[in-house]
Amino acid sequence: MGPESFPRNLSLRDGTVVTLQPLKPGDMADLQAFYRNLPEEERLVLKDDVTTPEWAVRFMQRLGTGEVISLVAVKDGHIVGEGTLYRTFAGWTRHVGELRIACHRDLRRKGLGTVLASTLVKLATDLGIEKIIVQVVENQLGARKTFEKLGFHKDAVLPHHVMDLAGIKRDLLIMANDVSLIWAAMEAINQDTPLFLGE
Amino acid sequence: MAKTEIRVGGLGGQGVILCGSIIGKAAAIHGGKHATLIQAFGPEARGSACSAQVTVSDDVIGYPYVKNPDLLVIMSQDAYNQFVPKLKPGGMVLFESELVKPGPGLPEGAVAMGVPATRFAEELGRRLVLNIVMVGFFAGVTGLVPFEAVEKAVLDSVPRGTEDLNLKALRKGYEYGREQAASKEA
Repeated sequence: MGPESFPRNLSLRDGTVVTLQPLKPGDMADLQAFYRNLPEEERLVLKDDVTTPEWAVRFMQRLGTGEVISLVAVKDGHIVGEGTLYRTFAGWTRHVGELRIACHRDLRRKGLGTVLASTLVKLATDLGIEKIIVQVVENQLGARKTFEKLGFHKDAVLPHHVMDLAGIKRDLLIMANDVSLIWAAMEAINQDTPLFLGE
Repeated sequence: MAKTEIRVGGLGGQGVILCGSIIGKAAAIHGGKHATLIQAFGPEARGSACSAQVTVSDDVIGYPYVKNPDLLVIMSQDAYNQFVPKLKPGGMVLFESELVKPGPGLPEGAVAMGVPATRFAEELGRRLVLNIVMVGFFAGVTGLVPFEAVEKAVLDSVPRGTEDLNLKALRKGYEYGREQAASKEA
């Protein structure tokens, strides 16, 4: 999956049509407007304050280096969803990518998050990333279900790691998808052993 | 009755058998022809000689063994040295050009065409798909089975999650094969 795959029109479960495309430098203002419109409770669980100009500059720099790959869903000329794949090119975790997904409230439970996540999983796999992680708060049941369907499982739990607006502390789950197993399966059928006869 | 005998040769671990299997599936399941596949392994699986014999025919195949192939798909020097002398006169050798140096001794009228399948596979992100590049090259040069049939056979054969990259590898080999075939004809 590469740049030739985009833009791509998608019809969501309720018939809403959105366009999936990579984030362009000119889209930053619209992206920040999208994040500003998320409920404060939800913005609180984001790792960064995505509404500040400093964040926008840092994000654009990382887009330029390829450490960040961002896909946006656009409807009527405005961003209604974003999925980001974060990765590093050096260090212990250079084989690991992290996914973050956000969708407009009106477009939830319609398949948009699943499409953003599954597209980024494919992109990550093609880029040679071997393990993808995602951080989910324990009560984000929809997100947990979506990622479980995509092959993610609970890898770690950080107890009472997140505190919401009401001061309630919640567990943070780290879910992981070891996509190297997908290619291990390909390697297995390329083994040229008689076992292949039974396939 | 048109019958084409093919030998795919290489080293264990290169996906030689999968390459032959996809060609056979494309012909028999998606291309409306008959096909057979015979596999042969060296004493050890990985890194030793390995080959597949594929016969594709418009009619029922009574004898599946390939002694003197019309077409060779070759991914290692040993396989080249071993199988080229058995190629039919006027036959064709398709070889991985970074792993195989074609020598003299091609049968009369035979043609040899190379593809840098390993490099293409690495450029796409995984060396592992070099056998799929070879399948695409085979389809592009020979036209023995329609590209759509080969595409379906690849999708039938590769693990879930690897389809996109495998299809890219197939197309890369196919387009290169079409170009090479056109330049030979010109």
